[in-house]
Amino acid sequence: MNEQEIMDITNRVFEESFEIEKERLKPEAHIFTDLGLDSLDVVDLVAALQKSFGVNIRSEEKIRNIRTLQDIYEFISSIKKEGQ
Amino acid sequence: MKRVVITGAGVISPLGTGVDSLMEGISSGKSAVRYMEEWAGYCGMNSHVAAPAELKDEKKIPRQNRRSMGRMSMFAAQAAEQALADSEINVSQIQPERMGCIIGSTTGSAISISKAFEIMLFQKDLSLMPSSLFFQCMSHSATMNVAQYLGLTGYVMATSAACASSLQAIGTGYEIIGSGRQDVLLCGGAEELHPSVTGSFDVVFATSVKYNQTPQKTPRPFDKDRDGLVCGEGSGIVVLEEYEHALRRNAKIYAEITGYNTCGSGSHISQSEDKSIVQCMRETLKSAQITHEEIDYINAHATGTIQGDKEEAVAIGRVFGSGTPVSCLKGHIGHTLGASGAIELIASLRMMEEGIIYPTFNLDEIAPDCEGVNHVLKPVKKEINTILKNCFAFGGINASLVCRKPGKPE
Repeated sequence: MNEQEIMDITNRVFEESFEIEKERLKPEAHIFTDLGLDSLDVVDLVAALQKSFGVNIRSEEKIRNIRTLQDIYEFISSIKKEGQ
Repeated sequence: MKRVVITGAGVISPLGTGVDSLMEGISSGKSAVRYMEEWAGYCGMNSHVAAPAELKDEKKIPRQNRRSMGRMSMFAAQAAEQALADSEINVSQIQPERMGCIIGSTTGSAISISKAFEIMLFQKDLSLMPSSLFFQCMSHSATMNVAQYLGLTGYVMATSAACASSLQAIGTGYEIIGSGRQDVLLCGGAEELHPSVTGSFDVVFATSVKYNQTPQKTPRPFDKDRDGLVCGEGSGIVVLEEYEHALRRNAKIYAEITGYNTCGSGSHISQSEDKSIVQCMRETLKSAQITHEEIDYINAHATGTIQGDKEEAVAIGRVFGSGTPVSCLKGHIGHTLGASGAIELIASLRMMEEGIIYPTFNLDEIAPDCEGVNHVLKPVKKEINTILKNCFAFGGINASLVCRKPGKPE
């Protein structure tokens, strides 16, 4: 899975699960302050990412450091690489 | 005791969105009951009819409010929003601790509860549980969702008494405002269709089963060919307001609530009985400080069951004799369960306003065991000053409410 595919799939999660318009999905967008997610949304975000990427990230410590979309792309990329 | 008036109403019913749609359907003799093709796969389910409401424009509710709402909470939120707009109350102008809501339902969202059980029992994977699913399942889901959505910060309560839930909500609101603890309360109920809901009546032989191919012929309250109830869904919400508070803001007043009672039968969990219904109506009249002659119209509970309709007719006959006009609306919209008291009260208030009583739909021939009361069989024009609304529920719960037309300020 390349970087672009990770970005596309992640962005689709934000469009479908959180009803956020495509134009707002910029890599630097802060998922709480710019995109309006809250702590409950994070629970659903993790579940949606797990489903979309076929990974298990619920107990990953690194998840707590995620702030922006770019952080998610990089996090998923690292998880994918670790799994290879 | 402070006086309590109704200053707003909102409805999502099987006959459409808004009070006008409901009344248009009733006045033109429409039935919202249809065959439920999607229930064909359930073994042992004998009733395949229901009165669904249409859920529309739900995306206008912001996602973070909507995510904790099951279908019934969305109905409640939309009905509450209508009621609030109708009352012309601006929430920000009311003392925050003096305005809240009391909204009841039989359970939380039946669809969401079913979804949760599917995850727990079949998939057995908690990571599949959406963060807000439990909030849709809670017994106070409708009321807490409405409070969150509208920013209500006074009393927030749920009455859960199955088919008497919303009348209990309105009665409780009346008592709380009457006691001086709140100024404004949005009160009512909500319910949603699901095979498990109709199924709960079906297993005790309380549903209509003979009209699956002719759905609009059922339910048939008080009729000789009645064979059971038909579930409906939706929400009815009224704005209750302390009388002086309403006067100060020059609000339109639909009615004053003047009497209320709720009681248990203490005799049977699923079968209503005339004795306790008589008690409930008499106590309600007593609390309104009026005699039975002063009631101009009774909006009956009358679900179309063999046993329940008979008990209510006998009870009404005993308290009111055969003079007071009686009708019910479930022939049009089915039994909207926890929402029924509020939806049917709102329709009755409109009848009071317009001076017309609509007949019981599908009541073609009065059953011998339901005789002895003044059944309304065709629209009757009449000055209506005071009405009584009945609701009865599983568990032997009864509730009755008296409303009277607003008079001139004293």
